[in-house]
Amino acid sequence: MAETIENSHSDEKPKPRVRPIVRFGIFLVSHSFLVSIVCFTSGVLALFLLPVLAKNTYISENALMPGSASPMLSNQHVSDGNRLVKDLTNSNLKSSETGIESHKIIAQYMLDVGAEVSFHKFHPQMNQFHPLHFFSSPDSGKIQENYSCSSYGINTVGIIRAPRGDGKEAIVLVTPYNALTSSFGEVLSLGIAYSVFSLLTQVTWLAKDIIWLVADSQFGEYAAVSAWLREYQTPKFSSMSALNAEMCPDINNLFEIEVHSMAGSKFSNSFRRAGTMTAALVLKVRDQSEQFDDTISIYAEASNGQMPNLDLINVVNYLAVHRQGLRVNVEKLWSFLNLGWLKSLGEIFESLANIAKSLNPKFKFGIPATEYVEGTAILASSLYYQALGVPTGPHGAFRDYQVDAITLEISPKFSLDKVWRNDIILRGGRLIEGVIRSVNNLLEKFHQSFFLYLLTSPSKFVSVGVYMIAFALLIAPLPMVAASLYVDSNSSSNCSKGDSSTPSAITDTDEHGITIRSWRWLNSAKLVFIVHLWGAIVSVLPYFICQIPDCSPTTSFMIWVLLSILSLLILNSVLASPFACVKASQEKEWALVKSVTISSVFIGLGLMSVINFATAEIGALLMVPMCLLARPLKLDVRAGTFRSCCRIICNLVLGHIAFPPAAFFLLKGMLDGFGSANVGGFWMWVESLWAWNSATYLFIVKATYLSWMSKADARYQRNIFNIHSKKG
Amino acid sequence: MEKLKKKIRSFSFWNWVIASIIFRLILIYFPNNLNLSSRPEVSTPLTSFRRLSEGYWLKQLSMSPYAGSMYHGSPLLLSLLGPLTVKRIEGQPNHLLYSLVSVIADVVSAMLIRATGQNLQVAYFGTLKSFDLVKQIEGSEVHSPGDVAALIYLCNPFTIVACMGLSTSPIENMAVILCLYGACSRLIPLAAFGWVIATHMSLYPAILIIPVIFLLGRGPDAPPRKLFLQMHQEKGVLNQSKLPPCFSWGPIIHFAFWALLWSVYVLVLCGISLKQFGGLWEMFKSTYGFILTVEDLSPNIGVLWYFFAEVFEFFWNFFLIVFHANILFMILPLAIRLHHRPCYLAYVAVCSMLKSYPSVGDSALYSGLLGWFVNELSDMQFSLFLFCGYVGVSPLSPVMHNLWIWRGTGNANFYFATTMVYACLQIVLVVEGVSAMLNHDRKLRSLITGKPRDAKS
Repeated sequence: MAETIENSHSDEKPKPRVRPIVRFGIFLVSHSFLVSIVCFTSGVLALFLLPVLAKNTYISENALMPGSASPMLSNQHVSDGNRLVKDLTNSNLKSSETGIESHKIIAQYMLDVGAEVSFHKFHPQMNQFHPLHFFSSPDSGKIQENYSCSSYGINTVGIIRAPRGDGKEAIVLVTPYNALTSSFGEVLSLGIAYSVFSLLTQVTWLAKDIIWLVADSQFGEYAAVSAWLREYQTPKFSSMSALNAEMCPDINNLFEIEVHSMAGSKFSNSFRRAGTMTAALVLKVRDQSEQFDDTISIYAEASNGQMPNLDLINVVNYLAVHRQGLRVNVEKLWSFLNLGWLKSLGEIFESLANIAKSLNPKFKFGIPATEYVEGTAILASSLYYQALGVPTGPHGAFRDYQVDAITLEISPKFSLDKVWRNDIILRGGRLIEGVIRSVNNLLEKFHQSFFLYLLTSPSKFVSVGVYMIAFALLIAPLPMVAASLYVDSNSSSNCSKGDSSTPSAITDTDEHGITIRSWRWLNSAKLVFIVHLWGAIVSVLPYFICQIPDCSPTTSFMIWVLLSILSLLILNSVLASPFACVKASQEKEWALVKSVTISSVFIGLGLMSVINFATAEIGALLMVPMCLLARPLKLDVRAGTFRSCCRIICNLVLGHIAFPPAAFFLLKGMLDGFGSANVGGFWMWVESLWAWNSATYLFIVKATYLSWMSKADARYQRNIFNIHSKKG
Repeated sequence: MEKLKKKIRSFSFWNWVIASIIFRLILIYFPNNLNLSSRPEVSTPLTSFRRLSEGYWLKQLSMSPYAGSMYHGSPLLLSLLGPLTVKRIEGQPNHLLYSLVSVIADVVSAMLIRATGQNLQVAYFGTLKSFDLVKQIEGSEVHSPGDVAALIYLCNPFTIVACMGLSTSPIENMAVILCLYGACSRLIPLAAFGWVIATHMSLYPAILIIPVIFLLGRGPDAPPRKLFLQMHQEKGVLNQSKLPPCFSWGPIIHFAFWALLWSVYVLVLCGISLKQFGGLWEMFKSTYGFILTVEDLSPNIGVLWYFFAEVFEFFWNFFLIVFHANILFMILPLAIRLHHRPCYLAYVAVCSMLKSYPSVGDSALYSGLLGWFVNELSDMQFSLFLFCGYVGVSPLSPVMHNLWIWRGTGNANFYFATTMVYACLQIVLVVEGVSAMLNHDRKLRSLITGKPRDAKS
C-alpha cells in the first residue's frame, strides 16, 4: 500500500498519465474564470426556473385519508357557535376593562359540553438574545425571575379526552383572542372553534385528545402560545408557583372566585396536560376582506426557516379546495406580480416549453406565464420569510418542540352579517373537523412527506433535491476559484525560486529552503481568522449594549458602531501586527488571503444551506459575486486599465450594497421611500432578529465582515507596507 | 541576533501556553451554556463524564460500577477521579476540581510533547551530522518541532473542547504521550507504565508496542544502515564508529519486564477494588468486551455505529473481526516501511480511524503528534484542503445532530454523512502525511548519495 502511494505522488519531473478525473479537475481549475461565470449564471437561471420545475403536491401518508368521511358538523353545532359569538360580543359591551369575564364565559361553554377546563396564567416573557443559546435545546432552564403582577395573561384551555384513545396523543386547536380589544374576527374564530369542539365531544371516532387553547393575545399571539407550550413541555418543579402566589395575591384571589363560581367538577386550577402533540392548527378570521372569494390563507414558516410537514398543508389544501370550496392562498410578495421583466421571462419559458412540446409531445413542463409570475411571487415570499427566520404566526412556537403546525386565516367574502356568519362557521368548522379527523387517523407522527421544501402555489412545491441544484451551481465557483488562486500563488513562487537560484542551490532550496512552502497560507488564515473573530465580537456586542437602560435605538446603534470599530483596532493591534512581518511578496499574499477567504465563505454557505436554506441562497446571491470580484484596490489603481477601473467600481458598489446597514436602507428606501429610513430603524430590525435567535443574524454579521474583507485587503496591504518601512 | 530570535520565540511560546490555559479557565465558568459534556462528538460511552459519576455512585452504594451497562472505564479512574465528580465548592461551578484536573492533564501532555519534540530534533540533527548535511540546514529556518507540537496540542479547539466537555480523554492522551516520551528519552519504566495505563484505559494504544519496540531498539531517528554503507562505499572509507547502532534487544527485554510488572500491579489494584463485584473478569467483559463488540450503537463520529446498526446480526462477529484486524493490516506494512521513524509510525498508529468509539480527543492527540514533524512535512500536499475540511466538518457535525435529534427534519443519514466526511479527511491526512514523509526521506537519500535518484526506485 505504501508503495502505491509512493508511486502516485512521487513523480514530479516526468509528466506521466494523469487520471481522467484529475485532468478534469485541473481543467476546471485552470479555466476557473469561465467556469465560474457559467456556473453562477446558470445558478441564477436555475433559481428562476424553480417555479417551472415545481411538482404537484400529493398526500404521501396513506393513513391520513382526507375527506373519506362525510362531515358531521351540523346546523346544531353552528348555532352553538353562534351563541358563543353573541355572548362574547355582549360581554364586551358590558365590561371591557377586564378580560377575565369573557374568559369565564368561554370556560363555562367548554364545561357545558363536558370538557376539562383549566386556566393558564402566564407572564409575557421578552425574547432575549443570548449569545450562547444558539445550539442548546429550546429554553433549557430559562427561568424568569422578576414578574410584575400587573401584567399577566390568561389562556383558557379545554381538553376533550378521546373515548377511543389512551390519552397519549393530542391534537391542538389554537384561537388567539384578545379579550380587551376583541375584534369580531377573533370572536368569530372562537365561534368556529367552539362549534367544532362541541361536535368533537360527541363523536365516537376520536382517538387522540383534543386541546383547545384560547390564547390571550394581548401580549402578542406568539408570546401566549409559547408560554403555554413551555409550561406544557417543561414542567417546573421549583417553588416558583408558591413564590408567585405570594407575590401577586390579587391574581390569585381572582382565581379563587372563579373556582367558587364554577361549580363544575371538571374545572381545575392546576395545569392540565394531554398526550404528545401530533399536530396543531391555529385558526384566525380576518375582519375586513378585500377578497372576491371566501379564501383561506396558510402560513407555515416557523423560526429559522423550518417548515411543517408538507402533508399537513396538503390535507388542508385538499379539504379546503375539494370539499369546502374555499380558495387557498399562500403568502406572496405582491410587488412581484407587476414586474414586467418577470412576465416576459415567464413568456419566454412558456414559448420554450411550447417549442419543446411541438418537438416531442411527451415534454410537458411548461406553465403559463401568469402562473409563472404568481409562482415566482410565492416562491420569493417563501424564501424571504424562511430567510428572515422570524415565524409568521403563533404556529412557530410549536415547531420548536417538533410539532407540525400551521396557521389558517379565513377571510370571508362579505361583511359578516348573520347569514354569512353561519355559512362561514359551517364551512370553516367542517374544514377544521376534516383536518382533525385526518390527523386523528395517523398512527405515527408526520414523517412521510417533506420537511424541506419551498411552495410555489398551495398545490405545488419544490423539494430539497431540486432547489439544492440551483444552490450548488451558485456556490460551485467558490472552491474552484480558491483552488486556482492557491495553485497560482504557489506555482509562481516556485518559479521565481527556480529562476533565481543556481543549480547547486536548487537542491538546497528543495531541501530546507522550502520552509513551510505549502503551509504559507497559514498567515492568510490567521488574518481571516482575526476578521472572523471580529465579526463574532461584533455580533455579541448587542447583547451587552441592550443591558444599558434607557437607550433610544439610534444611540444604541451609534454605540454599537463605535464599539465595533474600537474592537477592530484592539484586535488588530494585539493579534495582527506581531505576525504581519511576512516576507512573501505582497502580490502573492493577497491571492492567498482571497483564496482562504473564499474557502471559508464556501464552508459557511454550505453550512448555512443545511441550517436554513433560504438564507444561504440569498446570501450566496449577494456574496458570491463579491467574493469573486474582490481585489485589492491598490493593485487595480496601479494597473489603471479600463477593465480594472470597472472592477474597482463593481467592488466598491458591491462592497457597499452588501454591507448590511446599506442593504437595509436600500431595501427600505425602495419599499417605503427614503424618508422613513433611519439608523434607528436598522437597530430595531436587528433587535427583532436576535430576539428570535435567528440564524440570519449570525449570517448578517458574516456578511458584514465579508464586505469589509475586500477593503481589508487593501488596508492590510498598507499595514504590511508600513511595518516593512518601519523595519527598513 | 540568533539568540534574540530564539528568546522571542520562547517568550511567545510561553505566552501562548498561558493564553490557552486562561482561555480554558474562562470556559470552565460556562459549562452549562455550552453543554459540551452531552455532545456525542466529545463524550463517548467510554469517556463520558456522566457515566463516570454514575459508576462512582454505584460503587458508593456498594454495587458493581458496571451494573446497568453505564460505566465502561477503568476501576482505577473511579477511585482517582470519582470523588471529584461529586465534590463541590460553594459558589463555584459544579465540576471545578474535575475540570482543573483535565486542564492540568492537558498542560502536562503539552510539556511532555515539547520535551519529546526536542529529543526528536536532537536525534534528527545527529543523523544529519553523521551524514555531513548540517551545513545545508544552517541558513534556512528550522522550526522547533517541540514548541510547534505543544502549541498545536494546547491551542487545538478539539483539545479544548475535549477538556471542557469533561471527558476522560485528556487523561488517556496523557498516558499515550507519557509512553512515547518515556520511549524517546529511554526511560524504560516510564514508557512501560504509560503503555500499560493507556492500554488499560482504552485498549487501542496497545498497538503502540510496535513503535515503542523500534524506538527502544534503535533510537528515535535511525536512518537505514544500508544507506550508510552505500555512502561510505562511494567515499571509500568505512568509519565503524559513525555507523548507527544495530537493533538491540536489551532495552526491549527490559521494557517487557517492566510492562509485565506494571500490568500485574494494575491488575492487582483493579482486583482489589473490584473484589466484591465479580472481580477482574467482570471488568474485562465490560471494558475490553464493550470496546471490541461495539455494543453501544448510539451515534458518534466514527463509522461503526451506523454500520452495525444496519448489518444483520449473524454477520456481526465476522465484521467485528474484519474491522479490528483491519487496524493491524494497516499498521504492519507501514511498520516495515517506516521502521526508521518510529515516532511517525506512532502517530499513524494513534490515528486509527477504525476505533469503535472515537471522539474529538483522539484527533486532538494525533494532530498534536503531527506537530513533531513540522519540518519533514513542510511540503505536504493538500494542506489547505485538509484544514478547510476540518474547519468545515467540525461545525457540521453538531448542526446535523441538531437537525436529526432536535428539529426532526433530518435523519440518521445526515449525521452519518458528516462522520463519513470526517473519516475521509483522516484517510487523506494519513495518506498525504505518509507520502510527504517518504518524499522527504527520498530527498535526504538523494542528497547523501549525491545524485538525484529515480523517484521510482
